Amino acid sequence: MKADLRIIIDKLFTSLTGLAIASMIIALFVILGPMLYRGFGAIVFRGTVEFRKMQIAEFHHGNAEKVKQEAEKTQKVRQVVYDMIHRFRNGIDIEELENRVKDIHRNYGNELQQKDISREQYKELRDFSKEIRDKLIDTFSSDNIEKIKENIDFVLQYEMDERFVETVAIEYFTIARDFLKSSAKIDFEKRDFYAAELEELEDIILRLLGPAPDADTPMLAQKRYGATRLDQTNILFHQLFWKEKWVEQENSVALIKIENSRPEQFAGTELEPLFGYIKDNIKQMLNPKLTFYWRYFFDDSTPGHYFGGIGPEIFGTLLLTLLSMIFVIPFGVISAAYLTECTKEGPVVRIIRMCINTLAGVPSIVFGLFGMAFFVLFFIPIFGGPSQPCILAGSLTLAVLTLPVMIRASEEAIKTVPQTYKEASLALGASKFLTFVKVTLPAALPGILTGIILSLSRVAGETAPILFTAGIAIGPIPKSIFQTTRTLSYGSWDMAVSDKLAAEVPHNQFGMVVTLVLLILCLNAMAIILRARVFKKLKGH
Amino acid sequence: MESKESEYSVKPAAVFEHPLVLTFAQDVKGFLFNHIGALILFVFTCTSVLAVLLIFLFVAREAFPFLGKFSVVEFLTRNAWYPEASEGAEYGALALIVGSVYVTTIALAFSVPIGVLSAIFLSDIVSFKIRGIIKPIIEILAAIPSVAYGFFAVLVLAPWLQKHLGFATGTNALNSSLLLSIMALPTIISVAEDSISATGRDLREASYGLGATRFETMLKVVIPASHSGIIAGVVLGMMRAIGETMVVWMASGNASQIPHPWWDLSQSIRTMTASIAGEMGETVKGSDHYRSLFTIGLLLLVMTLLLNLVSEYFLSRARKSTGKS
Repeated sequence: MKADLRIIIDKLFTSLTGLAIASMIIALFVILGPMLYRGFGAIVFRGTVEFRKMQIAEFHHGNAEKVKQEAEKTQKVRQVVYDMIHRFRNGIDIEELENRVKDIHRNYGNELQQKDISREQYKELRDFSKEIRDKLIDTFSSDNIEKIKENIDFVLQYEMDERFVETVAIEYFTIARDFLKSSAKIDFEKRDFYAAELEELEDIILRLLGPAPDADTPMLAQKRYGATRLDQTNILFHQLFWKEKWVEQENSVALIKIENSRPEQFAGTELEPLFGYIKDNIKQMLNPKLTFYWRYFFDDSTPGHYFGGIGPEIFGTLLLTLLSMIFVIPFGVISAAYLTECTKEGPVVRIIRMCINTLAGVPSIVFGLFGMAFFVLFFIPIFGGPSQPCILAGSLTLAVLTLPVMIRASEEAIKTVPQTYKEASLALGASKFLTFVKVTLPAALPGILTGIILSLSRVAGETAPILFTAGIAIGPIPKSIFQTTRTLSYGSWDMAVSDKLAAEVPHNQFGMVVTLVLLILCLNAMAIILRARVFKKLKGH
Repeated sequence: MESKESEYSVKPAAVFEHPLVLTFAQDVKGFLFNHIGALILFVFTCTSVLAVLLIFLFVAREAFPFLGKFSVVEFLTRNAWYPEASEGAEYGALALIVGSVYVTTIALAFSVPIGVLSAIFLSDIVSFKIRGIIKPIIEILAAIPSVAYGFFAVLVLAPWLQKHLGFATGTNALNSSLLLSIMALPTIISVAEDSISATGRDLREASYGLGATRFETMLKVVIPASHSGIIAGVVLGMMRAIGETMVVWMASGNASQIPHPWWDLSQSIRTMTASIAGEMGETVKGSDHYRSLFTIGLLLLVMTLLLNLVSEYFLSRARKSTGKS
């Protein structure tokens, strides 16, 4: 073979190996980069007044007085939007209008009963109210503009009537006036279409600005506040201006997205200026400020992690890992001590080592099965515990899982202690056992600590073993170790895959997983630094 | 000054109050202390053995009633996984087994070349200083929890695949294999690198001395000499990939089907581990479905045990061969 060719092949090979390692490092950055960047957004973002309202109402953090003033200020700008929608709704939603008119009639009747009037008078007033009610209901269902005008005029002539002044019935006239105003601009044929569109629009406004101040507090926590972050408004703006629709394509399984302009759909109606108004005044409505939300790591969250932080998850993870460490450290260190100090290689030790290696190779999901079959259904009930997933079962399972890691790391640490230390101790007449406890163990302690930290990081990230033994997605903060708990790893899985609500708050999804990754990377960095120092110290000898 | 001096002089170098020869009682005490101590240590050490036994025992205990009721051959060879059918539930796990093997194979196809090349890069090409920087990076790659990889697969990689490669679904065999290959890499690299650097300097120098280039030395001398260790690394990586749960559960699409045609990586598949994780929560304890999932677990356990024996064999061979050279 030509020498040149051989050299070229050699150079190619060298660069190929470099490429391999480079691709691996690039993969690391590609995986961590976007996640870290987006997870960072869970803590530092431009928080709106809705965020501060939420913090006070849900978690009692912040200056209530100041936020109240701020909310009042923004409320003035928002009122225009609510009024616009309110008026528009009065013009189209017949059913709602009918109900309201009927309510007024009923309330008026109740009010009359409280008053000191005769039976005949009562009957007369009620009948009169009923007449107006029926007239209005008749008007609402009509689609003839002439008839509507006529009817409304008929009703409005009683506006100053002394029988109605200072009673609930006065509302009849506001409704009538609003209806006349909006119906003048509306195409009656499209009334149903507008009603459906308005529903969607109101939903978006609700998510943008929160419920109107006079509305009831919604049952679902995620509907109680508007956009808490400025970056959410961009998505909502897009939804506000563009109505998206998924359409089936011919000859393809995939659906295709079509977007229609929403302002165009409302063109010519009273609602048309709404879009421009929102766009121009969004800053005044939401009052965004740069927020550093450090309480993210301590706050509880509303269902689906829609608002709030990941406090219970961090607490659960720490509880589970520390408890499993309490179980595994004695067993791990003692096993390592026995294997390195007390025996010579033989069949018994070979079997033990093989078992440790097998244990290290068992898939994590099998640990989950084992934890359920053994700890949950068999072991804990023996001692009178509850036969259900709980923190104790989870941490015992994790302890078994991390036993090989612990043993190997401790063995490594004990082996690095120089032989001279032990010999010096033995020469002074100390027994083997005493030598181990008083000399070898303290010297190996930093190394063992490294092993402990590595086991911690392994345990903190495991999900499969706690699926059936300890983890839940939504639940209270545990009060004893016989309850289930939320954890970062389980929560990351749940938010990524099974929680539909969480998909709407990507910052919280990424915040959770990034917290987990950072926790583990910090532990690992600690272990790496510690190990480097131990290595240096022993090298110095 | 003087008082100190006197202190030194007062204290003798050694106290001979007790005779240096131990009394019988002390002798026995020391003996018992030492041996009982060792015995206690031994008992503690046996927890690993006990744990392995208990895992086998309890997984098998839940699985055996199923094996008595249904045919093992059918379980392994039929492609019909309808455990929740109200009438005539079927337990043919072939698609799940094929799915596990399929993603593992593809993952290894990515990670073995990259892993071995990286190991060579670390052991033979780069300086100690850079090696000291790259090794922690590999450790970080190994430390990232699998749920974070799965998270990345679902929320970052899957939309990207769908958008740029035009797949019908982003959660498919390709997605999960890519992530699995990244997860298997650290294991393969570290074991292979250990074994490549353990191959003696003398072999390399002899080859270079004969005028071989680095590529030729690697290909014809070092890799053949260290092949046992490299194979052990690959087997360990395979174990990691086949037992991995969260990534395949999240990223593989979970459709229990045998990929057809076999080279089409854009299809969704389902693995054994994902089936256990996904279905266990919905089963009734003690039902056939519950037991069938334990049977899959038992199968996984047996598979990893066998792979473990293979890796042990190759590792011991690698130790022997480096011991000789």
